[in-house]
Amino acid sequence: MHTLRVYRRNLGAHLRATLEYQADFWILVVAAVLTQGAGLVLIATIFARVPRIHGWGVWEVVLIFAMMVLAQGTSELLAEGTWGLAGLINRGELDRMLLRPYPCLLQVCASRVGMNAFGNVTVGGGLLVTALLHLDVAWTPARIGLALVLLPSALVIKVSLTVVANSTSFWLRGAINTFAAGMDQLGELTKYPLSIYGVGLQAVLATALPFAFIGFFPVSVFLDHGRLAWIGLLTPAVAVYCVLLAVTVFRRGLRRYESAGN
Amino acid sequence: MRPYRAMARLAWRNALAYRVPFLMSLSMLVFNLAAMFALWQALLSDGNSLAGFTWPQMKAYLLVSFVTNCLVSTFTDFAMASRIRSGAVAVDLVKPVDYQKGRFAEALGFALLETTAALVVCTVVLVAFGGVPWPSPGQLALFAASLLAVVPLKFLIVYMCGLLCFWTQNYLGISLARTAISGILSGATVPLVFFPPWLRHVAEVLPFQAITNTPAMLFLGRSPGLSAVSALAVQILWVVGLWWLARRLWHVAVRRLTVHGG
Repeated sequence: MHTLRVYRRNLGAHLRATLEYQADFWILVVAAVLTQGAGLVLIATIFARVPRIHGWGVWEVVLIFAMMVLAQGTSELLAEGTWGLAGLINRGELDRMLLRPYPCLLQVCASRVGMNAFGNVTVGGGLLVTALLHLDVAWTPARIGLALVLLPSALVIKVSLTVVANSTSFWLRGAINTFAAGMDQLGELTKYPLSIYGVGLQAVLATALPFAFIGFFPVSVFLDHGRLAWIGLLTPAVAVYCVLLAVTVFRRGLRRYESAGN
Repeated sequence: MRPYRAMARLAWRNALAYRVPFLMSLSMLVFNLAAMFALWQALLSDGNSLAGFTWPQMKAYLLVSFVTNCLVSTFTDFAMASRIRSGAVAVDLVKPVDYQKGRFAEALGFALLETTAALVVCTVVLVAFGGVPWPSPGQLALFAASLLAVVPLKFLIVYMCGLLCFWTQNYLGISLARTAISGILSGATVPLVFFPPWLRHVAEVLPFQAITNTPAMLFLGRSPGLSAVSALAVQILWVVGLWWLARRLWHVAVRRLTVHGG
């Protein structure tokens, strides 16, 4: 409990600091809206001409897209600091964090707040609600329960995968971790129905780097879409696996850390 | 001319020295290409055509769009932005070379590497996914000319966005916004013919469409005879106009510069 409170206060401090620069804040909100807008333009223009892609209609695809954007926003809010991990290692600044009586991973996560987070959470949340309204979902208690399990699990998966991607900095040792950015971009592939990709790529995105469990599989099971919809029920299990993976990889990496020597 | 040649050479060597970030940022564009390939293949592979695009034509379009995305993408803007923010730009100011030409020389140095990398990727894709319709030699010459014009055009847009750092500290937001706007209006996200008429008209009067739409249409032979030449002329006019505009912007911007000691 104490741990969580410190984490929240740490984030809060960065949040206030970030909000001091109002022009920067609005620039990034606009940038986030435009970036996601470009993705929507693609979806809208395609569905203006075809009714379905591999059996997926426009609002179903928007729902997947919304989950991805919301998850991205969440990870920018809760774990943006991990993007600075490469720099912390490179300059030996992790020393300071190791001296404090508080989990190093959480300190790293809370060492920054992504300003895109506000734009992405708003856009993602708005799209999620809009898509659900258009989809005519029967809100039985079971389905509400399912949604309440799937949504947080999906968000946890995204945050954990961000930590995993950036923890590779312990091995790569550059000042900027471009590998993590590349992995993140690979995850972007799951904004579209997974079946459009080759079997190999599908397998990677569903198992080794389970980005497909952020949007595609949870939405599949929620809408009961297709033969493989049941895979979506594994989302909470994948979330647990991803958290364990993130903690393990970070710990392993930390053991390799040897400061900067000055 | 000599100092500029040296700057271009230095930029090229610099890019070679930092291969890993370069290759990673290239890989991000490659992942995006993979997603677009899968998406359009799902829509077009069974002999359909959308807005006059068959699958081989769309392949060609996506590859041209990939090449234009690669050009002037990685180095120029963030390097320039960080020099303005840190005040290191003061050193550039005392050098007896023109600032704009100097940055352009660097962009050319990078572009050489970017072109090489893009061509390698295109070759691999062509081998893996089969051919595209090749234009006649005359069209091909026009296409090559317009691809050459993309380098200064894209440079000028990036350069002017970089100059905005004289007003704001937050280059990330500007860069993201520029990428999104340019992605939509250049035709890199979706070919312009897919847009509703009003959006297409907006795109057609702006310089962005000359980045992707013009070379792609020339490659596909969509603008026959005289209109091909006029498309190229419009592109070159944009280069000349923006070169002048960027100079004006520089003169205004540089007056705002305050460098604290050193």
